[in-house]
Amino acid sequence: MTLLTFPPPVENEATEALRTEVRAFLAEAIATRTPLERAESWNGFDREFSRAMGARGWLGMTWPKEYGGHERSAFERYVVVEETLAAGAPVAAHWIADRQSGPSLLRYGTEAQKRTILPRIAAGDCVFCIGMSEPDSGSDLAATRTRAERQVDGSWTVNGTKLWTTYGHEADYMILFCRTSGTPADRHKGTSQLLVDMKATPGVTVRPIYDVMGQHHFNEVHFEDAVLPPDAILGTEGQGWAQVMGELAYERSGPERFLSSIQLLLELIGTLQGSESVAAQTAVGRLFSHLVTLRHMSRGVAALLEAGEDPTVHAAIVKDLGATFEQDLPDIARSLVDEEPDLQSTSDFAAVLAYTTMAAPAFSLRGGTREILRGIIARQLGLR
Amino acid sequence: MDDISSILYESAQRLLGDLSERVLAGQALTDKDRADGWRRIEEMGLPVALVSEEAGGFGFSDADAFGLVRICGRHIVAWPLVETMLANRFAVENGSEPLEGPVETLGELTPEQREAAALTRAVQMAGALDAILAMTISHVQERQQFGRALAKFQAVQHSLAILASEVAAGQAAADHAVARRAQGGDGATLAIGIARARIGEACSKAAAIAHQLHGAIGYAQEHRLHLYTTSLWKWRDEFGTQAWWTQQVGREVLASGRDAFWPMVTAA
Ligand SMILES: Cc1cc2nc3c(=O)[nH]c(=O)nc-3n(C[C@H](O)[C@H](O)[C@H](O)COP(=O)(O)OP(=O)(O)OC[C@H]3O[C@@H](n4cnc5c(N)ncnc54)[C@H](O)[C@@H]3O)c2cc1C
Repeated sequence: MTLLTFPPPVENEATEALRTEVRAFLAEAIATRTPLERAESWNGFDREFSRAMGARGWLGMTWPKEYGGHERSAFERYVVVEETLAAGAPVAAHWIADRQSGPSLLRYGTEAQKRTILPRIAAGDCVFCIGMSEPDSGSDLAATRTRAERQVDGSWTVNGTKLWTTYGHEADYMILFCRTSGTPADRHKGTSQLLVDMKATPGVTVRPIYDVMGQHHFNEVHFEDAVLPPDAILGTEGQGWAQVMGELAYERSGPERFLSSIQLLLELIGTLQGSESVAAQTAVGRLFSHLVTLRHMSRGVAALLEAGEDPTVHAAIVKDLGATFEQDLPDIARSLVDEEPDLQSTSDFAAVLAYTTMAAPAFSLRGGTREILRGIIARQLGLR
Repeated sequence: MDDISSILYESAQRLLGDLSERVLAGQALTDKDRADGWRRIEEMGLPVALVSEEAGGFGFSDADAFGLVRICGRHIVAWPLVETMLANRFAVENGSEPLEGPVETLGELTPEQREAAALTRAVQMAGALDAILAMTISHVQERQQFGRALAKFQAVQHSLAILASEVAAGQAAADHAVARRAQGGDGATLAIGIARARIGEACSKAAAIAHQLHGAIGYAQEHRLHLYTTSLWKWRDEFGTQAWWTQQVGREVLASGRDAFWPMVTAA
């Protein structure tokens, strides 16, 4: 059953020294952020903060120096990522670019794209969004209808609609997954990825979609005869499916997939601190054991990435278990503490509980639903 | 792991696999089979596997010795082999000779011994989870209903995905506790508590799903599944119940408090 074995995490003095450095930085940089703001987790958007991270060399950490990277290990990057998440730092302005778009560009971008864009990402100065989902293509990503047609001069004309595009309204670029030949019936064949300049492409309109909390994170992005230059094609025309699966492996692999509720867990511990109640101790012991185990598994995924191995299934397991953990937390907290959830409350516990309860449904949707992940695991077990 | 351990793993796997096949669930062994089987186990030296080399053991590192325990968990046999391994280790640590096996119960244990036994059980559970997962996968691939293998039904696929994920998590927790103990230092007790809390829960979920997917045949004494599930239901509460271990972890977390919480996670 080697497919279920997670390689042991690697710890050394370098990663632990880095951890101390990151903690010290965060203690100052986000000192004034309230628990409720911290609960936003990776939705918190602050360009200044991202630039400060870039200035310290904590973005694009594993990339080659010639593209603005720092040639550090996947484990060092892991330390920075988990520390910023655990602290509730506002990472959204660099999150997607650092996690998945940058690595995609590094792999498939033209030399010019790599030279101009990667250093900006590493500086915390370039926001990316993900152009995968559409009105009629969610879990069934291959059903994409958005189309890019090649013109005689080599440029591309794009028509279609992308949906749920997180921070599309702030983004400098999108990596667009769409059809470049054939019809939706051709499924994976004839799909490609294109790089879209979100600030300078006529024919691209971004409309807000408000979520259950009334917040504006995601968007509808409409393309109407939007013209992209010939070199907008990312990687190989027609290889979009393989490329987008590679991108998703990065999207699903990190500790953000079990740390979204960490702020609530911290408030819960704060509220129960020193409690002698057996029920409280047992519930917290269980949560802690789950969290620590998820972290070991997740660092195993980082070890696979570092070794250049395909982390798809391991990442699916961590994301599925992780989302369940994050989503169970609000109800467990409610069962232990006699306080009404209330976003406006002066009690941090009550406010964060209210927030996390409303945020939780998305945890098993975004980045691939629970059902899709379980299908991936079942395939690996040889069942389909 | 060096060559010698991997050869030994292989032979142990073969012997225990063979002996395990013969424990036809629900049927008592004849006295002769019982004596012969234990003799073969002794000939391989397995009862002293956890004992130091000077005292007649293999001189395994702790991690390699636990590898052998995991194999024991995978192949449930009619003899209390792991109990005997532990009894011999404790006897030798106390300056006595290894015992005449098989040893059925361990009696009073010191706190350190109990901790070692608790971790050993966790690793044995990890092995039994390997077996339960493998059994359940082959069952749903072989058993046909509605004209197709059960494995082709999405509800079945998703149950198995949950089973596999629980197995992976339980095993990761046990593996980590083994590594922490090998490192020495004071993190081992907490890691063992975490392992027992997490793998105990994995066992509950895995056993439930395995029984559900096996249908009635898995509930029959003649089927081997219950050898594993009934063992897990016992083991998860031995050498400290799952409730006790989980509470120990929680007590430590709550005593340390909010500000120490995340550093405690990264140090665990
Ligand atoms: C907060 C948030 C942020 C997001 N950000 C982005 C973004 O930035 N960019 C982007 O492209 N997308 C984004 N998404 C979209 C996300 O990727 C999709 O929601 C997801 O892929 C599911 O698609 P859907 O919502 O259309 O649901 P559907 O695919 O319609 O699924 C609905 C339900 O049916 C189930 N289902 C579907 N197919 C099957 C099947 N074959 N077997 C069993 N069950 C099935 C699903 O699991 C789900 O439970 C975001 C979503 C959220 C919630």
